[in-house]
Amino acid sequence: MAQRTLDDDVLEVGRQVAAALPRAHRPLQALDDRAMELTTQDAELRAALFRFVDVAPACRSLDDLATHLTSFLEEVPEPAPPLAAAMKVGRTRVGRAALGAAAARGVRHMAHRFIVAQTPAGAQRTLRALWADGIGVSVDLLGEATVTSQEADGYAERCAQALDALAAGHASLPARPVLDADSRGALPRANLSVKVSALTPLLRAEAPEQGRRDAAPRLRELLRRAHSLGAHVHVDMESLDSREAVTDLVLDLLAEPGFRDGPSAGIVLQAYLRDSPQLLDRALAWARETPRAAPLVVRLVKGAYWDHEVVEARQHGWRAPVFEVKAQCDRNFEALTTRLLEARPLVRVAVVSHNLRSVAHAVAVSRRLGAPDADLELQVLRGLGDDLGHALAACGLRVRAYCPVGDLVAGMAYLVRRLLENTANESFLHEQAEGTPLEELLAAP
Amino acid sequence: MTELAPFANEPTLELRRAPVRDELLAGLARVDRELPLRVGPWIGDDRRDGDELMSTDPGAPGRVVAVAASGTAQEAAAAVTTARASFPAWAATPAAERAAALLRAAAHLRERRSELAALAVRECAKPLADADADVCEAIDFLEYYARGALALERGPALLQVPGERNELRHVPRGVCAVIAPWNFPLAIPTGMAAAALATGNTVVLKPAEQAPGCGLRVVEALRAGGVPAGVVALLPGPGETGAALARHPEVATLAFTGSLAVGRELLRTAGDVGDDARQLKRVVAEMGGKNCVIVDADADLDEAVPAIVASAFGYAGQKCSAAARVLAHEAIHDALVARLAGAVEVLETGQADAFATDVPPVIDREAQERVVRYADLAAGGGELHGAGRALPREGWFCAPAIATGLPDGSPVLRDEVFGPLLAVEAVSDIEEACDRVDALPVALTGGLFARNPRTVARVAQRSPVGNLYVNRAITGAMVGRQPFGGNRMSGTGAKAGGPEYLAHFVESRTVTENTMRHGLVV
Repeated sequence: MAQRTLDDDVLEVGRQVAAALPRAHRPLQALDDRAMELTTQDAELRAALFRFVDVAPACRSLDDLATHLTSFLEEVPEPAPPLAAAMKVGRTRVGRAALGAAAARGVRHMAHRFIVAQTPAGAQRTLRALWADGIGVSVDLLGEATVTSQEADGYAERCAQALDALAAGHASLPARPVLDADSRGALPRANLSVKVSALTPLLRAEAPEQGRRDAAPRLRELLRRAHSLGAHVHVDMESLDSREAVTDLVLDLLAEPGFRDGPSAGIVLQAYLRDSPQLLDRALAWARETPRAAPLVVRLVKGAYWDHEVVEARQHGWRAPVFEVKAQCDRNFEALTTRLLEARPLVRVAVVSHNLRSVAHAVAVSRRLGAPDADLELQVLRGLGDDLGHALAACGLRVRAYCPVGDLVAGMAYLVRRLLENTANESFLHEQAEGTPLEELLAAP
Repeated sequence: MTELAPFANEPTLELRRAPVRDELLAGLARVDRELPLRVGPWIGDDRRDGDELMSTDPGAPGRVVAVAASGTAQEAAAAVTTARASFPAWAATPAAERAAALLRAAAHLRERRSELAALAVRECAKPLADADADVCEAIDFLEYYARGALALERGPALLQVPGERNELRHVPRGVCAVIAPWNFPLAIPTGMAAAALATGNTVVLKPAEQAPGCGLRVVEALRAGGVPAGVVALLPGPGETGAALARHPEVATLAFTGSLAVGRELLRTAGDVGDDARQLKRVVAEMGGKNCVIVDADADLDEAVPAIVASAFGYAGQKCSAAARVLAHEAIHDALVARLAGAVEVLETGQADAFATDVPPVIDREAQERVVRYADLAAGGGELHGAGRALPREGWFCAPAIATGLPDGSPVLRDEVFGPLLAVEAVSDIEEACDRVDALPVALTGGLFARNPRTVARVAQRSPVGNLYVNRAITGAMVGRQPFGGNRMSGTGAKAGGPEYLAHFVESRTVTENTMRHGLVV
């Protein structure tokens, strides 16, 4: 009998997870998905709707909202009948009020799919429900861009309050062994994702030490707070322009003697970056030289700034720093997954993907290395990976949902990025919706 | 010559990567070892040194960057005479050969990128990234105009009917005096000279008196590329040297970038050609602006604030394209002012050779005094935010500041300050903003932050400016992508880095030949 290959294992895990996916979509979500599918097919309509969603929170009245909507729709060359009807309605004041109200409802509805609540306290019910389903959370505070010191202080203050609220909210939750510990020990329940670009107005691509120096005191305070609360702080990665500042900042701070015993903290590795293997080298070397009570958590993601990176590189005449072929990126994701899993227990590993193949691959590799499933965290994005997250939890895997919290104005940039991702032609979610066979979806990239 | 690849902008350095930054700093260290440069008139093969003119580091005025001999009236005359004598041969040189020389000059610059950027850092306090961009733009102009001259030589398609052959030819005008500014000390002199040379004119380059070192490097590159010694001369000096060139009867074209006052003087001089003149002088002038950014109620302030700050305070506001006024919709005016003021507070004022510097010193003491004068005016008439910071004792530093609540008619809203001072005004709607822009005599660049496509269309239609930027910073025009130049009192309308620029450096001749003989087409 031929030896069992890794791909055999991946297929098996993938089938098991797929079988746990809910058969029937929730009706409201199915409606969203249909709307998104429609926009995927029509680039102009998609652009018009994204631009509308983007500007919606800045509109001053329902009339203003309707005026914007019809202005965007005017740019769609051959509007479908419902759109033409909307534009006609928008010609009168009364019509605009109705259209504006409907549009506002639509945007709010879409936003709520991705954004849990306005505040961490308000998110408590959702977090509790997820926990009951075997899913932990990492809360991300959405906010306006930070361009002043006051805004940086304000964000840091909101983060501190979020840590308090999350610690308090999680204290009373029942035990969930798969979420509460791995073989290295106890896992913090309260988990906050933090953005360095919001902690300082001074992130400069060509002067990383500026932003690092300015953000350090604010992040240090948050780490101290997290330490005293037993919470985890995860520092998000954004575009390549800030990577050096973010990496240096986090690794320097965590190496400070005051943080040797905690808190648990982590960084992000973006697999779409061609040089991501070198960043992993650095993180692992750092972890070897910097013994800490709580090992560094490395969250592996594909990366959410692909368009930005490609466009910026094209405008400057640079080679794109990201893989431009999806299969190359997927292969790199798997190679990094394997290296990370092999590096345990030096680091803790969180793998973020909505691609069933990538997730099943991580689980299969982890098992082949002889590790218990609790030694691998799988993360999904609230709103996009809900079904997958529940299926993974149902299979007994350790799952965390990344949950953005914030008001609508602040959330728009995030929302538009997520929508774009969801309607990209090559996305796994799209292919899955299209009915691509499971074996094909689970094939090696 | 083999077919040229299509034009592409020279990539700027990817300074977000540490090794690339180190390379640029290494270039700076090499340049520091060879300062001060010796510069002087360089006419044909004759060079003269002297020390009448000195350029110093605006951030450390004790550091001498270049010691220069100032071109005398006699030297101006000699330079023009040499250029005139060299003109027929250069004009007769095939465009492809002239283009090849410019492309070799571009390669020469490309091989010395760090050192050239470093010189702009030292001589003009160009921050490192801006200095690198200046070198790239110089290369772009050479590459772009070389290709443009080849296209121009091919000539446009004219209507042809049987029995007649029509041709439109473009021929060079003669000697071109290039009078250049210090704020883009490599790119702008290179650009104006390259346009003249590519089309077959000969050139006398007078760099700004604050930047003779950069001027020397430009002429060195052109000559290294194979532009004959007689075809391009360097004539450093103060304003009088430029005036002497402008007056000279054998100067056919004046290519000028600088202030409105000097531009008008040159236009007057050029207009007064005298009774014996055999050719009218043509002036290609790029002058000042009072550039306004309109921010509508639906603008994304997260994007508008950083873009406005970069436009107003980058290079200490010393770009002709820099933002000077913000016209903010009253619904967002207060929020915008608060965020702008906070963003200005965290700007790093410092030496141009530090990557962290946002606002370098201004060019000289006179500029510093001017900025202070207008800041005082703004503080008197309205409210000044951000002027209180401590500044280095040495060097021509100015605190970046925002002025609000200025009365209509304040000189701060009218004059070009050319420094890190930005005025913000409230408007009741977009039409009022457009009215205010329209009331200005200058019309160089403008900006708009708005998300309704109808607003964008309306402002684009009403805006008189030469370059309108929507939802982005208003500085940083790229060769071949944003042809650059102002309207009204901002310039003569030539668009540098655009497809029509070279037309200003040539005369057009239509040749029509009858091809009928004895009733037959032959």
